[in-house]
Amino acid sequence: MTNLEKYTKAFVDSFDIPPSALAGLVYQAIPSWDSVGHMGLMAVLEEAFGITLEIDDVIDFSSFERGQELLKKYGVEF
Amino acid sequence: MIAYTRASTRSWSMLGSSGSFGLAAMELPELSSNVAILTADLSFFSGLDRFRAKYPERLINVGIAEQNMLGVAAGMAKEGHKVFATTYATFASARTCDQVRVNMGYMQFDIKLVGLAAGLSVGILGPTHMSIEDIAVMRAIPNITVVSPADCTATVKATLAAAAHKGPMYLRLSGVQNNPTVYSADFDFIIGKAIKLREGDDIAIIATGTMVYAALEAAKLLAERQITCSVVDMHTIKPLDEAAVKETLGARLLVTIEEHSVHGGLGGAVAECLALTPRKPPHLVLGMTDTFHHPADYHFLLEKNGLTPKQLAASIATAYDEVKAA
Repeated sequence: MTNLEKYTKAFVDSFDIPPSALAGLVYQAIPSWDSVGHMGLMAVLEEAFGITLEIDDVIDFSSFERGQELLKKYGVEF
Repeated sequence: MIAYTRASTRSWSMLGSSGSFGLAAMELPELSSNVAILTADLSFFSGLDRFRAKYPERLINVGIAEQNMLGVAAGMAKEGHKVFATTYATFASARTCDQVRVNMGYMQFDIKLVGLAAGLSVGILGPTHMSIEDIAVMRAIPNITVVSPADCTATVKATLAAAAHKGPMYLRLSGVQNNPTVYSADFDFIIGKAIKLREGDDIAIIATGTMVYAALEAAKLLAERQITCSVVDMHTIKPLDEAAVKETLGARLLVTIEEHSVHGGLGGAVAECLALTPRKPPHLVLGMTDTFHHPADYHFLLEKNGLTPKQLAASIATAYDEVKAA
């Protein structure tokens, strides 16, 4: 599974939405991406990529695209 | 249905204890058909937004009126509801003390009072919001069970245990977001039954709340000095697990650690338990100094009170050296 596939799966599984809904998706745009869903997504991403996110990055993780930029800091390339 | 996976326990840790309580609250209507949650204008802070969206008729925001909240909770409990009520720990214990004493202690209404941000976690808001004496207040009132979970996983377990528990309870939630994890998988949480997390012969450490993780880390540091420590998670302070306390009698030093005043909390409860025991180890009571602190960041305040793992290890080692030299 590629990193993009893992990343996409984390969103799909966490928020129960289709991959087609991910482009442009931002925090709190859908009911399941609330503060609780956000922390669940962060935990799933940590497990999927074997990383530990810094709290500033957890807060800055505001969209599907922004998340990809942030994960590059942790060596996750797309 | 809650799953206790590595990812879920990590996400609860990131949410903090209040958010974890709110997540566990989503299960409560499944466990009890007549459950209701009251809050004194802390719906979001209590992690209850999802609960409010799904069960709007079960969540009542009484506004910033904590004493009134206890009265409403008592009335609803008298009508057969299982009531959870949330506010800052200091308002739950100090501001509403008379209402708690009468409605929960004396009348024994089935109210679970959830004290949020206990200890120093909202220290930036100053002494009015720090809760350094809530355990002392609550354990002095008859009939109230006092529970202080070690981490966010334990918070989820304690919330579910509270729903199954009959009678008044004070649930003390402490720590901040990104709370360190003690329990990363499912475990047995039984109210009144302490959990031994580490074995050791030289020193026995009994800790509660956030200080359980700190105690485990301090024990690791002491192990580097060839000092072995047992560590017990005393998540229920009242009724105290007296058998677990008495298991510590073989140690050369007994240490209690709490994110609470050194007066009247876990340390006091353990000391009272052992008061008549003729042969017992010296008891080092570690907690917050007997003073009000200026507003400051949580971690700064922990350090100011000597409650970081490194500081705890140093205090314990000094006391242990004194005991050995005596």
